[in-house]
Amino acid sequence: MSPQTPLFIALSLYIISAIFYLVYLLNRNEFYDKSGYYVLLAGFLVHLSGTVFRYVLAGYTPITNLHESLSFFALCTAAFFVYLRRSYRIAGLGGIILPFIAVMLIWAISIPSPIRPLPPVLQSFWLPIHTIFAFLGNAIFLVGFVVSIIYLLAERDLKRKKKLHTIFRSFPSLETLDRINYRCMAYGFPSLTAAIITGSIWAETAWGHPWNWDPKETWSLITWIVYAILIHNRFVIGWRGRKTAYLMILGFVSVIVTFLGVNLIIGGLHSYV
Amino acid sequence: MVLGVSHATAPVEVRERLHIPEESIPQFLNDLKARGLAEGVVLSTCNRTEIYVNSQSQEEATRIIGDELTQKLGIAGDWAEKYSYSLSSTGAYRHLFLVASGLDSMVVGEPQILGQVKDAFRIASTSEATGALFEKIFNRAFQAAKRVRTETRIGYNPVSISSMAVELASKIFGEIATKRILVIGAGEMCEIALKHFKKEGVHEAFVTNRTFRKAQLLAEEIVGTAHPFEEIPELLLKVDMVLSSTGADMPIIAKELVLSTMKKRRGRPLFFIDIAVPRDIEPEVNEIENVYLYDIDDLKELSQQHLSNRLAESERAHAIVDEEVTKFELWLNQLGRSPVITQMLEKVEKIREAEVKKASQRLKNVDEETLKQMEMLTKSIVNKIVHPHIMLVKKNGSPAVIDMMKSLFQLGEEDEKNLDSGDERE
Repeated sequence: MSPQTPLFIALSLYIISAIFYLVYLLNRNEFYDKSGYYVLLAGFLVHLSGTVFRYVLAGYTPITNLHESLSFFALCTAAFFVYLRRSYRIAGLGGIILPFIAVMLIWAISIPSPIRPLPPVLQSFWLPIHTIFAFLGNAIFLVGFVVSIIYLLAERDLKRKKKLHTIFRSFPSLETLDRINYRCMAYGFPSLTAAIITGSIWAETAWGHPWNWDPKETWSLITWIVYAILIHNRFVIGWRGRKTAYLMILGFVSVIVTFLGVNLIIGGLHSYV
Repeated sequence: MVLGVSHATAPVEVRERLHIPEESIPQFLNDLKARGLAEGVVLSTCNRTEIYVNSQSQEEATRIIGDELTQKLGIAGDWAEKYSYSLSSTGAYRHLFLVASGLDSMVVGEPQILGQVKDAFRIASTSEATGALFEKIFNRAFQAAKRVRTETRIGYNPVSISSMAVELASKIFGEIATKRILVIGAGEMCEIALKHFKKEGVHEAFVTNRTFRKAQLLAEEIVGTAHPFEEIPELLLKVDMVLSSTGADMPIIAKELVLSTMKKRRGRPLFFIDIAVPRDIEPEVNEIENVYLYDIDDLKELSQQHLSNRLAESERAHAIVDEEVTKFELWLNQLGRSPVITQMLEKVEKIREAEVKKASQRLKNVDEETLKQMEMLTKSIVNKIVHPHIMLVKKNGSPAVIDMMKSLFQLGEEDEKNLDSGDERE
């Protein structure tokens, strides 16, 4: 079996789940929420096994290039969505997040990536720890980003006293969206911090210096500062709702630059693609 | 005739200015009497201010009422042209019947309006501003309202202001089962809305009112706690929703208060529902972050979407009103106008009945609903056709016109005799 095969199966399941959730957005029928969830769960398990399978084949944690990273990003996002679904009624969010997951996986699959021996610089005890924290953070911030956009749109309609659009009726209430946003910062920020710290420990052993102002390092610091401001304002000043949503969006733009912009455009010490 | 403004013609700002408080209505009616308008009823609610008077000349009455209102309430004189409507005779009766039946209400079919019309009539009659004619008109209006309520489904499933408010609350808060509500005012609207929130499972309710006793009564009734009016700033920190409907002339809750409250609340959202006219909460409050303010007009806009499925029932209700208006006019005519009108109406009614009977015999398996609809349809057609003739006779009762009507409606010899005796009575 090719390491790609499980990804194809997982992708099909994600797409089916996305369709269920999109139908849910239109008719708010619980059946589509439940079906979407179980299909997603199946997709997630296949995806997870596929990742483990690749780990076994390669002999190292498969988060070393764009293909593997995108696939792992999608996996983390699916995991976080499943986690959230257990505590909140977030069926409406599935219609947005599942398509994101599916697109990430399609992109990952489109990049051919035979298993190669690991470059010496990546052969480290820190590889799995650093990358797992980094992508867990990315996935959590992606959810925060989606939630924030929905929050802003729904909030604007409520303030303008317009008739709520069918789709907005399916989304969670403002308060739930804000709480999810809160959880995203409460979990995402420590993950990002852990990724930066483990990264710098690893950098010290690999490159001889903990901080090298490599573009990825610089951008992750910018991202970290944005979320730090957000956390500070939320906890100390008591920001809520719209303002936090704007900063969540800004933070995720920075995440995307850190993850993709640096890999695809800027380059630097971190580019292994 | 009637002169008025309502939610359909004037924005809430104008209605606020034209609101006549209950205690000044008797004085106002006296002033009208002094200027020659002997019979009058003032209906002033959240959504309308209407003055019904009995007058020979519509223009003159309009002018007098306009003057009085402009003077009394101190507003720019051009409001009447911009926002008001003025109807006389049939138009005015129909309007009153529609209003009493809740068909002219913001939320079509809502039941509160009938009580308000009854109150308005009671106030006028205790001020000795109503005579035999008004008594009859208003009683007929109540009767029409009752028929609309019992014979159509308009009133059964009222899209109430409160259910709209509950829906919005659930968009903001999700479950309202953990939320607290503060109710300012202890009137009927507050009570209805609060009961609705309670039914939807609101966690805790606080009631406050200028007259503390009334707050206590409402609080006891719905299992809540009553608080003095002065505690509002502290209460605002405890609750998530505020429902306000007081008779206050000035806003009770100012933007500054909400701003400082939101600081202390650390931005926890606050949902204001202002169903009072004039408004209790400054409209600028809605600009504050995490604060959502809906006034009665906003809720109306939203409830419009539910209106479409009620159209069929609404048509039936209008047919009932038309019928009642015709019946009332018939009575008016019998009161001493030309008996030829009675004959015309009897004649067409006979024709109508005969035709309906024939039709229902021809049709097989007619259900009651169809029969009812047929009755209504034919009555409404007949009334509409006969109406201009009646108006003509009423305006110009000359022998030539009466002769013309007789030949038009083929009123026979027998009727001639009745007509003569009728003339004698006059």
